[in-house]
Amino acid sequence: MRDIVVSWLANLPPLAVPYALASLGLIISERSGVLSLGAEGLMLVGALTGVAAYLSFGGYPLLALVAAMIAGAFVSILFAVLVVLLRVNQVIAGLSLVFFCQGFTNLIGTVANWSNRTISGLHVLPLYPLSELPVVGRVLFTQDVIVYLTIPIFIAVTYFLNRTNMGLRLRAVGENPEAADAAGLSIYLYRFVAVIGGSALVGLAGGYLSVGSAKIWIAGMTSGRGWIAVALVIFARWHPWRALFGALLFGGIEALIPQVAAAGIRVPQYFMLMTPYLATLAVMVWQEVRGRIGSDEPAALGQPYVREERT
Amino acid sequence: MLLDAPWWIMSDQDAALSPLAVPRIAGPGSGRWPFGRMILEVRLDMPAWKQVVAVACSILIGMFISAVILVASGVPPGELVNEFASNVFDRQSFQAVLVQAAPLILVGIAASIGFRARFWNLGLEGQMVWGGIAATAVSIYHIGPEGLRLPLMALFAMMAGMAWVAIPALLRMKFAVNEIISTLLLNYVATYCLYDLLYGPWKDPKDAFPHSSLYASAERLPDIGHGVNAALPLALVLVLLVFWFAEFSRFGFYLKFIYANPAMGRLVGVPIIPVVWTAVLMSGALAGLGGFLVPSGIAGRLTQGFFEGYGFSGVLIAFLARNNAVAAAIVAVLIAMLFVTGQSFQIFYQIPFSMVQMIQAIIVMCVAASEFFIRHRIRLQR
Repeated sequence: MRDIVVSWLANLPPLAVPYALASLGLIISERSGVLSLGAEGLMLVGALTGVAAYLSFGGYPLLALVAAMIAGAFVSILFAVLVVLLRVNQVIAGLSLVFFCQGFTNLIGTVANWSNRTISGLHVLPLYPLSELPVVGRVLFTQDVIVYLTIPIFIAVTYFLNRTNMGLRLRAVGENPEAADAAGLSIYLYRFVAVIGGSALVGLAGGYLSVGSAKIWIAGMTSGRGWIAVALVIFARWHPWRALFGALLFGGIEALIPQVAAAGIRVPQYFMLMTPYLATLAVMVWQEVRGRIGSDEPAALGQPYVREERT
Repeated sequence: MLLDAPWWIMSDQDAALSPLAVPRIAGPGSGRWPFGRMILEVRLDMPAWKQVVAVACSILIGMFISAVILVASGVPPGELVNEFASNVFDRQSFQAVLVQAAPLILVGIAASIGFRARFWNLGLEGQMVWGGIAATAVSIYHIGPEGLRLPLMALFAMMAGMAWVAIPALLRMKFAVNEIISTLLLNYVATYCLYDLLYGPWKDPKDAFPHSSLYASAERLPDIGHGVNAALPLALVLVLLVFWFAEFSRFGFYLKFIYANPAMGRLVGVPIIPVVWTAVLMSGALAGLGGFLVPSGIAGRLTQGFFEGYGFSGVLIAFLARNNAVAAAIVAVLIAMLFVTGQSFQIFYQIPFSMVQMIQAIIVMCVAASEFFIRHRIRLQR
């Protein structure tokens, strides 16, 4: 029993990291008022680019992850142009971005022959003296570098959003673009940068999924994790630390699936695979039942800003 | 609770018509050009023919971009033109297009009736899956006499689609859970239910592949001549029905009220909750029926991926048709051509079928972007 719990906990962080990074990225762009439904697609782009860069540039996993970030940011420029400059309905733009990326990554992966090729990917990096500790050593200090970096990334983003002038302005743009505009901030610039910066993190989440945990590219491999990340942001009420908590919850559920089978409990496998989606629904219901008190939902979320229609 | 202006509602739908939308000269800092200043104005209206031209141009641009991507991934340009042209000029391909069009028409009107009630039904695929499962259950368990088999299958499929859409609808009405996410997540749940059946009890005993056994001939949609089955006339009848329902009936009038201004609708006594429920359930029923037409009209059995690509296509059809049922039928035929072409590219050039989704997404982006130019005028001032 103890072995099962320890191996469950040890598998948890790598599965939680994609959720954590993707929802953190979404929080950045949504705090500026842009509803980013495209996360699922950007994660796919990151995942494919990660494997592609790994295979093409001689197998440097960190380089592959940087490439995944750049790819996520690059593709999101398209989304940013559509929703920020051209004021396209953000739901339509986000959905079409997802389906564009699904089709495009599938096509490129097939044509360039990057599909279904296992790579050795990102290696575990035990932090030597700490990794020898019982249980904790294996769970917390025998992980890969991105798992270790996730916490500093969260600290940095929280600090940026809450403690810097830039972060304050970014939130102002999401809360009340008219006032922010009157105060001399460029709404379009802030939203553009927030979307691109946030999408870089979403791309990293996707890249980590393929290079870090799955170590393979399969078409459509994110299988809804982007949507779950979107739901996680609502669950987290746009607070980074709550998003991290949600990510650990979902990582825990995902890590539980193989453990249940290993423990010899007979549950039909497809019903096990449903649990993350059902858990997301449950969490969303729970969130709404509790009410939105204390929510930091940006007031202008999802609304294009049209300066010419300012009243 | 339903109508407290949730954040996912389209906010700029009629921005150009708003009385507050006074054209205004942009202030300092709006793009400076070497040859003067760029000024953006909100248009109050634009002649219909110009709008049509703008949309047509954007579709052409989208198709051009798609063609470039396909050629770059190894389809010879000549073949690309040939394949698309054969959809219209080759008898066999044209039949395939007509067969393919019926389920697309259904998902298109399903999406549009949902959108009219401001309900983002992105769970069309999940509802199709359950429609297919329910219809196949009628076939596998021999429910009802042979003569009534087809209507029973259709009825079961519609009820299953309705039941599946009722979950996100209930979550939205009772708990204000965003239906964009919940319907999408339920698609994955429905798919896993389908896999559980097809890899388990419903696996074809003849060849042990993950699909159901072939339907009996009484369970296949009958041919109405020229290789086109009864799905197409059925879909067209439903189009007219939905068109009448949405445009001319009292229900349709209520829907327009709810779409335009829910708060006002409530004040003048529109029965909002029942009307929205009716529209959403209709949407689910139509998608479920689509899930019956594919196995019964095309494959002849329940297959693993029979629903793939229909969900986004439905959304796209409703978007391009501006939620109009008759326009949706026309757009659906065009999308059916894309589907048939995609299937042949899959066979001849190993291009994944999701290229169909990619092309649709490109076209949506282009058309959505063109609306900017329909609503705004860019002028250069020296």
